Amino acid sequence: MKRLLDEIITKAGDIILGKEQVLRLAITCVLARGHLLIEDLPGVGKTTLAHLLGKLLGMQYQRIQFTSDMLPADIIGVSIYDREQESFHFHPGPIFSQLVLADEINRATPKAQSALLEAMEERQVTTDGETRKLPHPFFVIATQNPSYQIGTFPLPESQLDRFLMRVQIGYPDTASERRLLAGRERREMLESITPCIDMQQLISIQNQVDDIFVSDALLDYCQALLEFSRTSPRFHHGLSPRAGLALLRNARAWALLEGRDKVLPEDIQAVLTATVGHRLHSTSDTGVDEGDQLAHHLLESVPIT
Amino acid sequence: MKRPDREPLSRHLLITLTLLLVATVAPHILHLQGWIIGFFLASVALRIASMLRPKLLPGRLLLFVLAVMGLANVIVNYPILFSGEAAIALMTSMVGLKLLEIHSRRDLYIVVFIGYFLLATQFLFNQDALMVGYVIVLTITLTGVLLENSRHRPSNHPIKTFGTALALLLQALPIMLVLFIFFPRLSGPIWFLDIFERSGTTGLSDSITMGSISNLVLSSKIAFRVEFKDPPPAPPLRYWRGPVLWETNGKEWTRGQPLSYSNPPQLHTEGPATEYSVTLEPTGRRWVMVLDLPDTIPHQSKVLGDFQVLRREPIHDRLRYSASSRMRYNTGQITPPERAQGLQLPDNITPRIRSLVQGWRSTAINNQDVVNLALGHFRNQEFYYTLRPPIVNDNPVDQFLFESRRGFCEHFATSFTLLMRVAGIPARVVTGYQGGEFNPLGRHLVVRQSDAHAWSEVWLQGSGWVRVDPTAAVAPERIERSFEFDTALGSDLLGAPIRFGNIQLGTLANMLKQLHWGMDAINASWHRWVLGYTEERQSTLMSMLGLDFLKGHRMAFAMVGFATIAVMLLGTTLWHRGRKRVDPVYADYLRFCNKLKRSGLARKDIEGPLDYLKRIEIWRPEIQSEANRITQSYIHLRYGQTNNKNARRLFHQMVQHFRP
Repeated sequence: MKRLLDEIITKAGDIILGKEQVLRLAITCVLARGHLLIEDLPGVGKTTLAHLLGKLLGMQYQRIQFTSDMLPADIIGVSIYDREQESFHFHPGPIFSQLVLADEINRATPKAQSALLEAMEERQVTTDGETRKLPHPFFVIATQNPSYQIGTFPLPESQLDRFLMRVQIGYPDTASERRLLAGRERREMLESITPCIDMQQLISIQNQVDDIFVSDALLDYCQALLEFSRTSPRFHHGLSPRAGLALLRNARAWALLEGRDKVLPEDIQAVLTATVGHRLHSTSDTGVDEGDQLAHHLLESVPIT
Repeated sequence: MKRPDREPLSRHLLITLTLLLVATVAPHILHLQGWIIGFFLASVALRIASMLRPKLLPGRLLLFVLAVMGLANVIVNYPILFSGEAAIALMTSMVGLKLLEIHSRRDLYIVVFIGYFLLATQFLFNQDALMVGYVIVLTITLTGVLLENSRHRPSNHPIKTFGTALALLLQALPIMLVLFIFFPRLSGPIWFLDIFERSGTTGLSDSITMGSISNLVLSSKIAFRVEFKDPPPAPPLRYWRGPVLWETNGKEWTRGQPLSYSNPPQLHTEGPATEYSVTLEPTGRRWVMVLDLPDTIPHQSKVLGDFQVLRREPIHDRLRYSASSRMRYNTGQITPPERAQGLQLPDNITPRIRSLVQGWRSTAINNQDVVNLALGHFRNQEFYYTLRPPIVNDNPVDQFLFESRRGFCEHFATSFTLLMRVAGIPARVVTGYQGGEFNPLGRHLVVRQSDAHAWSEVWLQGSGWVRVDPTAAVAPERIERSFEFDTALGSDLLGAPIRFGNIQLGTLANMLKQLHWGMDAINASWHRWVLGYTEERQSTLMSMLGLDFLKGHRMAFAMVGFATIAVMLLGTTLWHRGRKRVDPVYADYLRFCNKLKRSGLARKDIEGPLDYLKRIEIWRPEIQSEANRITQSYIHLRYGQTNNKNARRLFHQMVQHFRP
């Protein structure tokens, strides 16, 4: 099992250079059955990462490029009148796919965004009074540009909360960048990648995540983190119980990725920033996203007992 | 950055606090100048108005102007600026302004604390049980406001909050009791208290003019309370002796030359002594009220030749004392100086007074007859007993006897005494109190200022000094029962006769009366057990407890020591309680970390066991395997599912043997 997961990470590391931590987090998120939000500047490899995950995990995937003139029907699909059969026929949209790459999600209007986000939460869509189930597993990787860029509609907090994790990729280090520049075109490399696992394997690994043991001592630590976020004056509001659940779920997946059968405080710490960064706001709301700094502050302030 | 105590506060809380402050200041209406109360109420009104219309809230500049106005108001109204009353006035004015300046929770805290202080100042004026209850209720409510103010969100459960505040304050009760019992008492009055007590007292003075007692009688304030060992004497015998007046200039009666400072004559008594204890309200004077005539007298006081009992120091604090008296007595012979003083006459004796006395003398066989004839004169002629006698001229006695014939006890007593002196019988005026109401609930007698009285004493051969009360001749009801206060005041007519209360009370009135008695009984016990706990009683209690070696500063040291021990005990208990919950596995792991710390590599408290292990491996590769075993074992025990005793013991041993 660990070997298999390590192989995925090694393969992914060949395409996205020097970002093992981000790759691990992304895979953790998939294993924890959560949706992933990748947020960074254009050109650091957001889309590549999304493609890579789809390829490696053997999922059938579709990409939706979000634009400001997009409508919900462009995502969900539309019923069109079929003259020959004299009835409406539903043409499923790109969301009917195991892995959906929602590119630049914050370029779309809130209306289009919410169509996607509702599907993410319910794992089904309703059009023309008919409810249609989405495939299983269903997994959304959304990318977004930092909110200070022009032409963006920032996601509301309640919708950000639906992403189990948010990762930021960041610039590569010098050596990695050198290799990247000297190497082949990434797009070509992506084409040649073969899946490491199939759908059944992925589902079984996801089920194993639930079996990772969480001790009382760890729950104490987890609760101390939540408590601190609720009482410290630096946080505008504390972490919700849902955030606590997300934290534990990610920590379990991370522990599995590390080849452990139990969660350690280190696992919590490893996923903390990615899990709570997009759920935290500073009391001095300056418009700049300080979520990751706050998560770091949280990590530094709560001792492990 | 926003801090919780800078957060805006709830409107409900602000309204509650404003009302509470009004309630806190309310009793001061009786003591403070109207302008001060007016300023305070105006601030409150502005506060309430600005709740409805926030624009009305004054800005910084206006507030400053208002503050200066408030200060000026205090300076103008209180010429003596460094007095307690001025300080309270200033605080009252400023707390009103502070109400207008409440913007955040922090401001509210401040106002609540000032509220506590203002509440405490009430005791400078009034220490009755009722006031104590009032202050306690307000203290709890203020604490409730404090509680609500520190909550994240208001609870909206006023009763519950009140209960919590009560529970909080009850926890202070043991400390309060210990301090009450053991805290060193100051023997004298606190300087601050002294001022108020003196300015507020009413009572008998050492001289009377016509009208001075009838003024006193207008006050329903309690003069003293008495508990009798046996059933109390009948109302006509309840004469409480105060200042004795010898000398007159025709208008005013005074104590005269200090002749009466001689020792009292030997009493010839009959019947048992009446024993009683008195709780005397502060008078600012030295007289101790005793039943006529005193036999054994209280400590720290002395009895004079005319049976006045004087305390060593003026009475500025409520005083409790025991005494006994004799109802039937004979004072025996009179001394020549006493006789001389008992016959002193002013120079404005008119011929018609002399001829009146001459008339009695010619028919009487002895002095006793003269006294009876004089009493008969008061009884049979048209004399009226009234609280509102006509205004007196230069010769009040003459005017009273022959013209107005309307007067109060002091008119009768002074005129009678003068008449006796003219007839050659030594006589003197005695002032004090007569009667008192018996409180069946508290089983004590309440004597009020309205019971103030004046009577005469004449010296008769064979009987000694004998009490003669001419008022009783005119209005025997005065002696039998107290008069109805309301009707006495209701009659505005000059010279209107006093009506006495013999009306049957209705059910409601009866209940009110019962309530009144109940309140009085509570107050009496309060005075007796709480306010009456003086230095003297404290030292008695201490010697009963065998603690009399703890005196003065030793007591202070003992209390500080006791408090220190208590705090230390509490601290260790809490500390232990906090430690008890530590998982033994974790405790062992901490020992492991401490051992490493001593050898130079401390674990950061946010560092997980594996991260720490990694650092250990880099730092000291030679202990890597041992550290790894311990860490893995710790992870299994603490974070894994394995939890058996053997593994735990093994882990404990590993840590024990670990020597970095």
